[in-house]
Amino acid sequence: MSKSDSKRQAILASAYRLFRARGFEGTSMADITTQVGGSKATLYSHFPSKEELFVECMMAAMENYMSGTLKHLDPCRPDPEKALRNFGTSVLNFICSPEQVEVRRLMIAEAARSGTGKLCFDKIAALRTQVSSFLAACMAAGTLRRDDPNLAADHLGALLEAEILEPFLLHVRETAPDAKETALAARRAVAAFLRAYAPEVPPSSIAERSRPKRVQSASAPSSTESLE
Amino acid sequence: MKTKTESKRQAIIKAAAEVFREFGFDRASMSDIRERLGGSKATLYNYFPSKEKLFFEVMHQAKEAELETIAGELDADTDDIRRELTHFGLKFLTVLYSADAIAVRRLTIAESRHSDIGRLSFEQAVVPIEKQVAEFLRKAMKRGLLRAADSKVAAMHMLSLLESELLQRLLLGVIDSVKPETISAAVRRAVDVFLYGYERR
Repeated sequence: MSKSDSKRQAILASAYRLFRARGFEGTSMADITTQVGGSKATLYSHFPSKEELFVECMMAAMENYMSGTLKHLDPCRPDPEKALRNFGTSVLNFICSPEQVEVRRLMIAEAARSGTGKLCFDKIAALRTQVSSFLAACMAAGTLRRDDPNLAADHLGALLEAEILEPFLLHVRETAPDAKETALAARRAVAAFLRAYAPEVPPSSIAERSRPKRVQSASAPSSTESLE
Repeated sequence: MKTKTESKRQAIIKAAAEVFREFGFDRASMSDIRERLGGSKATLYNYFPSKEKLFFEVMHQAKEAELETIAGELDADTDDIRRELTHFGLKFLTVLYSADAIAVRRLTIAESRHSDIGRLSFEQAVVPIEKQVAEFLRKAMKRGLLRAADSKVAAMHMLSLLESELLQRLLLGVIDSVKPETISAAVRRAVDVFLYGYERR
């Protein structure tokens, strides 16, 4: 690690502690400088604003972890089941860890007050795009039915979190789940997802009724754009 | 000590709701609420022993009871499960995505580290709603309208799919409100995917 990198890490560690203890508004760039040592100019050379520093504190660990975990989703080998199970289990192990639950709470707590929520969301959306690319490759290869891959990625994320995240977020559970529990939740989520996005839907009444809608939703702008 | 009255209780809850919305849970104090309300601090504490209890009451009353009622209206005798789930999803998300409900949910998550607000919300709202949806799905499975599966897990999948497109954007303040037609499109897609995942075939 270069000198500059280690300085950056030290800033992130101190800033995270302060944000966690005092919130976004209760923490100033001067406080952070005092904690880390060095000059305010050095701090600003790494992070041009308190907002950007906060977002980096929230997202650095996740981006770092996800860059490893996303390797499970190799678009050149679109075998969705195994890839999605491994990916899903790995994601759940990470997001249910006490540190990440705390990060998510702080991110949500500060979202409205400081306007940092949108910046965090953009980073989350960028990670999600990588999941969408994999799903798009599966759709192209015929292992998943064709639909909006961004929407499919939202649905996959929701199914993965469905059984397990909320008790942690609401502090009903604290100790991280064991590997068996996350693997089971991921297996059930992926099973539901693969049924829902299976390439061939038999001509049941349900399929007939929804087919026109699906065509429509696939040709509509992505779910983000349609929010305007 | 004077007898407690429901109208006084409601007046406190209304004043507290305003103060929490303006200052957030952290910065709002029982004194702020008393000032808004008038009367003595002793009276206020007589009704609500802590800020936490008061906050939960505000929150529960505002939205969670309403959500539970909506879940309770799911009619297990329906022959059109798609229509029933779509109808439920629309009503559910319309309440969940209101500005008040989002503010409350954000505060609940934010405060859960310091208090038992998160646990109360989980036990008194999240779990009962999941149970009602699970019961509806269990009956649909029994009647052969859905494939046999763990109805509790299926309920969590259904609720999470409903929230999948928009909740995070609202919680993070990316968007402030959602148009009814955007909600209904998201509900339609969530129900489609849920039924593909859980239909018998």
